[in-house]
Amino acid sequence: MFLQRRARFAYFLVLPSLAVITLLDILPIIESVVVSLQNQNMGRSNPEAFVGFAHYSRALFEEPTFWTSLWKTVIWTAFSVAGAYLVALGLALLLNMDIWGRTLFRALFLVPWVIPDVATALLWKWLYGDEFGVINFLLTKVGIINKPVLWLSDPLMAMPAVVLVQIWKLYPVMFVVLLAALQNVPKELTESAVIDGAGVMQRFRFVTFPFIKATSIILTLLASIWTFQAFDIVYLLTGGGPAGATKILPTLVYDKAFWGLEMGYASAISLLMLLCLLVISVAYLTIYRTQGLQADEARA
Amino acid sequence: MVGFKDFDRRQAVVAGLGGLFMLTADNASAQAQANLTFWTVRLNTPELSAALKAILNDFEAQNPGIKIKHEPVSGNLVYPKFLTAIRGQTMPDIAEAYSYHPLQFAAADQMEPMDDIIELWKGNGLLADIFSEYAYKKFLWRDHYWGVPYNLDIRPIYYRKDLLEAKGLKPPRNWDEFQAAAIALNDPANGVFGVVFPAGNFHIAQHFYMSFMFQAGGSILDKDGNLVFGTTAKDANVKALTYLTDFATKHKVTPPGIASYNTDEPHTLYVQGRAAFGFGTGGLISRLMKENPALAEKTGILEVLEGPAGPSGKLTAAFYNPMFVWKHSPAKDAAKTFVKWFVQPGRLERLYQAVPGQHWPIFKRDINTDRVKSNRLLKEALDNVVPYSTDFAYPGFGRPEMGVIDGEKMFAAPVNEVVVGAKTPEKAVLDAHEAMKKVFSS
Repeated sequence: MFLQRRARFAYFLVLPSLAVITLLDILPIIESVVVSLQNQNMGRSNPEAFVGFAHYSRALFEEPTFWTSLWKTVIWTAFSVAGAYLVALGLALLLNMDIWGRTLFRALFLVPWVIPDVATALLWKWLYGDEFGVINFLLTKVGIINKPVLWLSDPLMAMPAVVLVQIWKLYPVMFVVLLAALQNVPKELTESAVIDGAGVMQRFRFVTFPFIKATSIILTLLASIWTFQAFDIVYLLTGGGPAGATKILPTLVYDKAFWGLEMGYASAISLLMLLCLLVISVAYLTIYRTQGLQADEARA
Repeated sequence: MVGFKDFDRRQAVVAGLGGLFMLTADNASAQAQANLTFWTVRLNTPELSAALKAILNDFEAQNPGIKIKHEPVSGNLVYPKFLTAIRGQTMPDIAEAYSYHPLQFAAADQMEPMDDIIELWKGNGLLADIFSEYAYKKFLWRDHYWGVPYNLDIRPIYYRKDLLEAKGLKPPRNWDEFQAAAIALNDPANGVFGVVFPAGNFHIAQHFYMSFMFQAGGSILDKDGNLVFGTTAKDANVKALTYLTDFATKHKVTPPGIASYNTDEPHTLYVQGRAAFGFGTGGLISRLMKENPALAEKTGILEVLEGPAGPSGKLTAAFYNPMFVWKHSPAKDAAKTFVKWFVQPGRLERLYQAVPGQHWPIFKRDINTDRVKSNRLLKEALDNVVPYSTDFAYPGFGRPEMGVIDGEKMFAAPVNEVVVGAKTPEKAVLDAHEAMKKVFSS
């Protein structure tokens, strides 16, 4: 009886959160599903005409844009997350050591995180400029290049250039979390490994990494979700160009929804994106659980 | 101090009746007062906002029954803001925005026809005083005018008089002369490019292509509003695209990175003195005056070029920006009163003074001001560009689909793709035509 009452009270306590989630997440998703099945061309007077799965069919089978954009989104996400993780891990390992200025550097490395995306894009646009960009200026000054690198104008360079910006934007949050995880690694274990003659790489692989593995999986999952749907940086830096080289799915959705006024089609693409994210998330969580079980078995 | 407990029942009744009376009185005064919301997209810089505020104060002083609440809308968020407002039925009473908004929102059944204002202008001679009939006929769709023009946004070519003179050249007047001059003035040793134009995947790239398209005898629509971009107008459009992109790919007289340029980069390079010819907006005039007045003295504004189409195609892209009224506004009459008052010769002089060159009047009689007479660049733009200005749909009139074609940058893509070598001009034009065709058939 007491437990039942406790459970009822617990449900009562989560009600406000549930209401907010329903209002801000579940209802918009349901609305998106409805919109994706309607014409919803805002430039037409019959937006609510039911069209079934026509928008999905168009995206998946009739126009190659969805697939090319999906591929670019996968590249953008994979390289951004992997790059940011490596940078964050490197810095976290470095600043987990007892070095001079550790507190100052910890604060400094967080700066990119607090800069708004729009300001980040403008800042990097200025850095990447071909004729007045700081990077080309410095590279020319030190004699590494003799003509400007077309960071944002060359279709082969544009994707690496925007990925670099996303890495810069993404690594601080990963750095903070990894640093916290590293501080949970028992010092005695590392010291024992040193006494046993383990090298730096061995210590990292067999002592440190197992302790930050679970954190790393969750962190890269979250970063993948954020990056997969990131929009501002690419849109402001390249507009999806040159020649579509950086046309990732969020920019396609934005163009179709807010310039093409095709809300139905854009909603269908958004829901396909959601499906992709669900697949990624399930894969990640499956790995996470498997790893967790293995760890439990090892401990037992 | 008097607390609630000190009130007796009679006092409470009197206070209640008094409050009710005040509420009723307030409601009555609200009914006499029309409160209008005015969204602006192009008047939001601090200088322009201040000038607009003064104009709105004048209006309210002359029309005490109408209050205007000005709300700026970011240019990057125009569509999200308007579409959300349509869905939530919270559109402003009046708005000024981009060229095709009135027709797009009319197609969504959200706009109030403005036929009465056009009729009024016909009667009082204002219509005849507008520079180009495309200024208002672009808002004509299904027998109604859905917006009225209030402002002109031009796309001139700026040139360095001193560099031309040093080479003994006259300002070019046609395509051949322009190409020869850009090649002759290209001076990489001194960091000066022959010509700088935006070719990034941004809206501005298609504006300049459009000018060359018209000059080659091409267009997007025919006079009946049919899509001809990749059909009957294909050859001319390919010719224009080839001519424009050749500056980058064949003659190599542009900065190498123009494929990522938006509006600002060509402006900046020109202001830094690093371009013999610079494609820009009217706003470059005020940047020059502010940031490099010495260069402003050495700058001229080119007369619109004559291309393969000859004198009949001597046209340039420009945009007559609209004002429009929401169909469901509770104060439509007051909104139209405001529009009629706002769009009149001389009324917006404060805006023109705030940022010289960025905004242009639509009425011919507005050109004889001291402001124009005393500023050579304004005068040159007025003589050499404004009279030749026309709009996207030329030689047709309004089509809501043009908003999508412009919005999705369907003819910026060909410029961008050819400049980076991803497509030939012909393939780029044909692919863009296919994309446009889908918009017309959707």
